[in-house]
Parts: sequence; C-alpha cells; structure tokens
Amino acid sequence: MQPPSRNASSAIGASTPAVGASPSPSRSRRTGPTWEPYLYLLPALLMFGFFFAIPIVGGVVLSFTAWNGISWDTATFVGLGNYIDAFQDHRFWVALRHNLILIPYFVILPAVLGLLPAALVHQMKLRGAGIFQAGLFLPYIMPGVLIGVVWRWMLNPVFGPVNKTLKDLGFAHPPSWLSDFTWALPTIGLIGAWAAYGFCYVVFVAGMQKIPKDLYDAARLDGANGWQEFWGVTLPGLKREIAVVLSVNLINALRAFDVIKATTDGGPGDKTSVMALFMMNSAFGSNQAGYGIAIAVILAIVTLLMSLLVLRLFGESDD
Amino acid sequence: MIRRVLAYVLLTLGCAIAIVPFLVTTLASLKTMPEIVQDVLAIPDSPNWSNYRDAWNQGRFSHFFLNSFVVAIGVTVPAVVLSSMSGYAFARFRFRGANALFAFLLLGMVVPMQAMIVPLFYLLRELHLLDSLWALILPQIAMSMSFGTLLMRQSFLSVPQDVAEAATLDGANSWQALWQIMFPLCRPLVGTLALLFFIWTWNEFLLPLVVNVNPDYHTLPVGLLYFQQRWSSNLPLMAAGATIIFIPLVIAFLIFQKQLVQGLTEGALKG
Repeated sequence: MQPPSRNASSAIGASTPAVGASPSPSRSRRTGPTWEPYLYLLPALLMFGFFFAIPIVGGVVLSFTAWNGISWDTATFVGLGNYIDAFQDHRFWVALRHNLILIPYFVILPAVLGLLPAALVHQMKLRGAGIFQAGLFLPYIMPGVLIGVVWRWMLNPVFGPVNKTLKDLGFAHPPSWLSDFTWALPTIGLIGAWAAYGFCYVVFVAGMQKIPKDLYDAARLDGANGWQEFWGVTLPGLKREIAVVLSVNLINALRAFDVIKATTDGGPGDKTSVMALFMMNSAFGSNQAGYGIAIAVILAIVTLLMSLLVLRLFGESDD
Repeated sequence: MIRRVLAYVLLTLGCAIAIVPFLVTTLASLKTMPEIVQDVLAIPDSPNWSNYRDAWNQGRFSHFFLNSFVVAIGVTVPAVVLSSMSGYAFARFRFRGANALFAFLLLGMVVPMQAMIVPLFYLLRELHLLDSLWALILPQIAMSMSFGTLLMRQSFLSVPQDVAEAATLDGANSWQALWQIMFPLCRPLVGTLALLFFIWTWNEFLLPLVVNVNPDYHTLPVGLLYFQQRWSSNLPLMAAGATIIFIPLVIAFLIFQKQLVQGLTEGALKG
C-alpha cells in the first residue's frame, strides 16, 4: 500500500541470518594504514549515527517520560507509565485491531492475485508476458498519497467512476465505500491489495524463472497436469519469494499511513484508525510526545516480531 | 488454445485494473466539473487544459515540483557517494569491528520511519532545521546508508578479484582504485541504486508532512494532500494536480523499467 521505501525490505534485512557471520570481507589486501577503512566509513557512520541512532535511542528514553513536546523541563520520568497507558487505552486497541484486519487484504490477497497469473504465464509459457509486467508494476512505484487521492475520487459515491459503472451494470445502491462505516476499512484493504499485487506478480515471475526446467520435465513424465505441476513444482520452488512478498506486505499492513491519511484520515468515526495514525495524533495532535513515542516503539516491536514470524514460517530454507 | 486465450484475458484484466484509475484521473483533469457530473467516463468535446495551468501556478505545483527535485537530487548524489565509500570499506578491508559496524548500519532497514519520526522532529527542532529543505535532505541521506552500504558492498565483492588487484598493483592508492576502477565497473548497479534513492525520496511523505509546516518547503506528495483538502470540490483541478505527479513517474518508469523492476524486486529478495 505504501510506495516502496528504504525500509520496505525491512524484515528481510533482519532475516539474513546473522549479518555479521555472512562472508566476512575475504579479500583483505591491506596495503594502506590500518585506519584507512575507518576513514571510508566515517561519513556514513556520522550521518547514520546522528540522524538515525540518536533519534532511536532518544526516542526510547523519551518513551519513559511524560512530556508535552514543547519545553524540555516539562519532561518527567514515568517509567513504563506510557506503555501501561497504551495497553489500557481503548483507542490503541481499536487501531491495532484495524491493522490486524488489514493483514488479509494487504498480505494474502495480493500474493494470491499475483501468484496465479504468474504461474499461468510460467507454466503455459505465454509469450509477450513482458508487456503486462510494466502495467502491473506501475502502482507499486506511485506515492501512497497519490494512490489515496486517486482512489478517493474514483470511489466518490455521487459521481465517482466506480459507482457510476456499478449503477450502469444494474446495482441500484452501491456502497459509499470510504465514507461508509462498515465498508471503509475493507475498502482501504482493497486499495492496499490493488497497490501490491503487481509487485507480487513480478517477484513471483522472477522466482519461477529460477526453477530448474528438468523438474517440470520430470513432473510431466510422471503424467502431472498443470494443477499438479503448480502444487508439486512451482509452489515449492518459490519458498523464498513467498517469504519476501509476505513480509514486505506485512510490514506495509502494520505501518499503513499514507493512503489512509489521504483518503479517510481515520474516519468515518474511528473506523479506519490505525497504529501509525494514532501515534501521530497522540504525539502532535494532543501534545503527548512521550506517549506518542511509546506507541511508536510498540509499533516497531510488533512489526519486527511479526516479520520474524513470517520468515521463520516460510524462509530459512536456503541461502 | 482456449485456455491460452483465457490466460491472456486474465492478464489483460489484471493489467487494466492496475492502470485504469490513472487513465480515468487524467481524463477527468481534461474536463470541466459539469462534464464530470454528467458522465465521468465520457471523452470531453474539447480538452480543458486550464486545469493544468491553475494547478501549476495557483496550486503552487511548480514550487512543490522544484522542491521535490532539489531534495531528490540532494539526497541521491551524496547517498550514492557515501554508500560507495562505506560499501568499499567492507568489501575491501578486513578490520576490527567490521561485523559489528555492518550490523549497526543494517539496523536502518529494520526500523520503519514511523518509529523514529517523532524524536527526529524534536532533534531537527533543536538544530533549528525545521521548515527547511535540509530537514528533508539530511535524515534521508542517513536512512539511505543501510540499503546503500549493503548493495555497494555486494557489488564491489562481485568484481573479479584479479581486476580489483590489478588496480593496486599499478600503484594506485585505495581512493583512486575506488573511484577510477571499482566504481565505474559497478556502474549498472550504481545506476539502479541512484534510481531507487531518487524514487524513494520523491515519494517520501511522512517526513515532509511532519517537519515542514511552511508550504514553501512542501514536496509534491504533501503538496497534493493539502491541495486535495483545499480543492476537494474542484475535482478537475485535483485530477490535474495528481496527473502532474504521476506523469514524471510513468516516464521515468518507462525509460528505466528494467532497472527499476529488477532493483526493486531483487532489492527485496537480496536482504
């Protein structure tokens, strides 16, 4: 649902079993002085340390304080107070529940919608499939706000093209989508699925090309039909790609923000309130910076744990 | 045969669903409001270009466009240079603390922007950088270091060892070897990396939304959000604004399709 971003591949970074243990720089041809590599690293480390590590560490510290975010002397240490407040806050659970409801829409639906055509193209050896790739992939590179703005008017109940088409097809009373109390959240979910299925398709197609051809020949010799080939050869050969797609989509479901901000801003009522939105509103909307940051920390931990879970379930097989 | 035709139909449908919303939006941008209310999908008698002029001038899209461009370049160029250097350090040298430092840099890929945006806001406030393009450029360079270092380290490691060695035998020092031999050899990957940095920065929304309240420093996505709130009743104008944002992306996508698709999918797969 969100545009690809620097941490779209988040969990995958974490997944790589022990980065430290990965092939450590094998080509050691140290010709210069020993401090040389540190010099190369210095600018990157300074930037990263200053604008990444300091906010993260500072944020964790601030999450243990009650602070209005305006002047520093109002900050008082409250221990786990903010976290306890969050777990007792009705709005927190509503937001978290909405994120969880979005998961099937953001994660599973686009994966299935991408997998089936990818398998068709691959197993039937369809020619010219490359042309489709461009169109399918397009939504994935668009900013989330743009996606929100486009779909908000597409789904306008009065003159939007979607309801106009539905009425022409004979549905007299199509739902009012984003402004409807029951439909708003599923609609956000469908927009998220729409934005992601092309990406899933492309990843799956790329993965299928790496499956050895003789596996298919062997299956055919055994008299397997297309469906059996799919379950027996294609799907098992895609374990890694499936893990990647699921975890990227999962992260997008848990941190959903841009599209919601541009379409419903959490409404109607609190029907599309999500963690990121609740975090922002607490921190900046009601001057509870410490509380907002605590929610951000919870959001980060939930994201990390859930993506580790996906990778534990699907990944790890190779590499 | 019939199954083949069905498969093509399915693909065309999937493709159409992905593209049609953008096409319909562009169509709406060329109409007047009465024309939209009358029949939203009809082709207008004569295209109404004035929406673009209004969005570009009154809607300040020219301004947001320039900001987006300056920020994207201001992030991409330093980020590519710095991650080449750090990637080179890990690929070429063996040194104390290398693994720990590498793991530290990769932390940036695990932490979403949401988790750090609030403290980052207060840090930038302390530095008096709020409401400036620096507030967008500096943090995004920092956040590019994780993926950049990972990718550049890998691409430098993939340079055949004897080529890398030949450079040093000629008496070049490591700095010359990096920029005169290794960097040009990895040009295709550097291009992909620059492209990704550019698009990520172009699309970033949360950071500019939070740190720059003054519209003078808005980028296109934030500009579009406020534009939508202000002109929600003037649909053609809003559609024109949206089209101004996605046309450059579509063009860039058509030119660099291969690198982009490869970079984004492999970037996701690599990790």
